[in-house]
Amino acid sequence: MVLELKNVSKTYPGGVQALRDVSFGVPQGQFLVILGPSGAGKSTLMRCVNRLVEPTAGSILFQGKDTGQGSLRAIRRQFGMVFQQFNLVKRLSVLTNVMTGRLGYRSVWRSLAYSFPEEDKRIAVECLARVNMEHKAFQRADTLSGGEQQRVAIARALAQHPKVILADEPVASLDPKIARQVLTYLRQVAKELGITVLCNLHQVDYAREFAERVVGMSKGAVVFDGTAAELTEDILHRIYYREEKAA
Amino acid sequence: MSAVAAVLAEESQRRAQRLTRALLWGLLAAGVLWFTARQIGLNPVALARGAPFMADFFSRMFPPDLGHLALLRDATIETVQIAVWGTLIAIGLSIPLALLGAKNTTPHILVFHATRIFLNALRSINELVFALIFVAAVGLGPFAGVLAIALHATGMLAKFCAEEVEGVDRGPVEAMQATGAGRLQVILFGIVPQVVPAFVSYAVYRFDVSIRAATILGLVGAGGLGFSLVKTMKLFKYHETATCILVIFLLVFISDWICARMRARIL
Repeated sequence: MVLELKNVSKTYPGGVQALRDVSFGVPQGQFLVILGPSGAGKSTLMRCVNRLVEPTAGSILFQGKDTGQGSLRAIRRQFGMVFQQFNLVKRLSVLTNVMTGRLGYRSVWRSLAYSFPEEDKRIAVECLARVNMEHKAFQRADTLSGGEQQRVAIARALAQHPKVILADEPVASLDPKIARQVLTYLRQVAKELGITVLCNLHQVDYAREFAERVVGMSKGAVVFDGTAAELTEDILHRIYYREEKAA
Repeated sequence: MSAVAAVLAEESQRRAQRLTRALLWGLLAAGVLWFTARQIGLNPVALARGAPFMADFFSRMFPPDLGHLALLRDATIETVQIAVWGTLIAIGLSIPLALLGAKNTTPHILVFHATRIFLNALRSINELVFALIFVAAVGLGPFAGVLAIALHATGMLAKFCAEEVEGVDRGPVEAMQATGAGRLQVILFGIVPQVVPAFVSYAVYRFDVSIRAATILGLVGAGGLGFSLVKTMKLFKYHETATCILVIFLLVFISDWICARMRARIL
């Protein structure tokens, strides 16, 4: 198991309970889709993994070590993150955006001059080439289409040389054709490089198409854990309409 | 992968270009700056030579004559009053002017240009100059000071706000238009809520600046502490001048503290 979640809970200061006793393990190289409606706690779960959010209870082990201990920098660079809104720095070039994936490895002194070593440039261009975006390396990020921006964002995550990629609703802002293309890139590069992927999705179709394994979440708790083929109507109902059942 | 090599080659070429350009502009800038430094007599040696004279000046001010403090009370209150009214008037004037002077809210492009020219004029005239004009118009006293501060602050505040209005997110504006809302309604609901935080923050900052400006308007007879400052200096009562400076310092310090707290609460 590259990643293990043990009884992870998160209650926000306002009293909202986003995660309730979540436990599961992820083997190296798996393409895991976390499926659930908006507000199920998928984003919080991801952010607990790379410690953007501090869980209130439980522990998360990365390669057997508790991510709560040790340097935040060392932990975070193991996890590349891809966001729904891409979160590229719009006014910087595509290449510079990808090079920011190297920041976790470099001293602040060099970064003060906005300069990166040759090695980082090579890594960045190679990562761009993996998503077929190297031809736009010198354009400003805001000149690209949504699908292209997300491919650049994937390249940025790859430049980190991560063990795991956390993709938080990576295709929610894209049309179906482009969404499939982006997910295909994500799956392909992860396979090539042996990277484990945790991908939040709310669309069942994409989960069926891309997931090796699906973890279904509802109201902060895991309600399903199995293969995409096991996603029956009944289970989907449990994931998406639990509220009505409870009522 | 030859594509990778090609991109890397282009990157180093672009960087070389950037460096050359930076070097050329840097040299040019250094040359111009050196020339201007000569022209305006930037001279650290003169400053060092002058140090004893400054020390002498300060020694004459020391200790501040705290007995003078009571006499400054009214002038201090007046200074604050000038700043408060000047800023309030500026806020009132700058909101409509900002909307007229922003490209996305102006009723006509000519109105836009006229407003911007007017605002530029307001900003290019210093408070002291305005104060001189208003002293001539409404007589000596704090009212002239209020008008001076109000006009200059209007120029600043309206320009800042107009730029903020131009920078709003287009999405909500389009959504308001799509509801069939009229022009002003679109502004009220799609634009104003987006610019309020920045405007409030800047208005508070402007009050802070107005306090500082109000402390010197007395130089030209427009009320406030500045009058005492000039008077005591002209009469060589440096101990009293020191008291004035002390009071101004305290006033600015207190207003800065209050403004910081206000901004923290609002934002």
